[in-house]
Amino acid sequence: MSILFRNIEAGYKFTPVVQSYVQSAIDHYALASLDMNPVHTNEEWAARAKVFGIPETVGHGMMTMSTLASVVIREWGVIGKDGGSIRFVDAKFTKPVKVGETVTAMGTVKRKHHHGPGKNWVLIAVEAKDSAGDLIGLAEVGYNLPD
Amino acid sequence: MPVPSRLDRYIETEKQRHFPRDFMVGWEAYETWDEAAVGQSGPGQRRFKITEEDILDYNRACGETDPLMIDPEYARNKSPTGELLQHPVFVTTIAFYSLGERGIGTWIRTPGARNPHQCIEIVEPFRYGEIITTTVTTADKFTQRGKPYLQMLLDFRNEKDALKARWWCSLILPGTRADVARLANA
Repeated sequence: MSILFRNIEAGYKFTPVVQSYVQSAIDHYALASLDMNPVHTNEEWAARAKVFGIPETVGHGMMTMSTLASVVIREWGVIGKDGGSIRFVDAKFTKPVKVGETVTAMGTVKRKHHHGPGKNWVLIAVEAKDSAGDLIGLAEVGYNLPD
Repeated sequence: MPVPSRLDRYIETEKQRHFPRDFMVGWEAYETWDEAAVGQSGPGQRRFKITEEDILDYNRACGETDPLMIDPEYARNKSPTGELLQHPVFVTTIAFYSLGERGIGTWIRTPGARNPHQCIEIVEPFRYGEIITTTVTTADKFTQRGKPYLQMLLDFRNEKDALKARWWCSLILPGTRADVARLANA
């Protein structure tokens, strides 16, 4: 099926993304994003500072935001084969992701914005949960779709 | 308190080799919540030249497997831009590099900062070779349930002044420089 505005309806579900937040993954993200805050990378400091009330490192919020956005881009593309494209990502973080967690993110088309030919887009609601099933973050992703 | 040496194995890009990675060094010069003024605006310390390796490493760190995002040769032939497509949250790398270690917006490096909410708007893809200037505007400053929030708007423009992306960046911060000191010295 072509990913076109006329073909996509509210309720469309994306394939979930499962992402590991082991320390090596967090370390790689720290270098790639240049967010070297010690709460993500320095176990000794994290144990002393207990920024989130826990003596462990945590994943970056921006890493969670990336996982949330990946739900959409892995299925439809950053720029889709049919010409769709990411418009915005708006994310909230509800619980820190402890080192070692596995995060599962799921997305559903929430509504269609009928702005006219060449300007239509859809809003996708994405949420991510940790291995305990607790919500760790949610996002609204806007995606431009060709007619 | 140096950055753990195990992170060295992930260094892939020229910027990573030279970036001041220890956020505990020079924290005294970071902007703090109590000193930030809404409406204040200015350019980041550094401009960011977009390179293939910057995009490639960010995409890999996100776990992407699409060859349009992680295979430069494939992307040269198949990508709609002829280049690797960047993950929409890639602006994070541009921001941390560009804001530097002194002055407006450097609260993004604060030890002990917590991340409540972020919003990134994509206008058009970044292209290899573009020189990106980040303009920082302090957008909001408030307390909620006793916690100090700070928000800045980051505009990312290329050398032709074309707007590429915007990021409304919010953090919950230590309230005062003394609070930052306590965390930095924990």
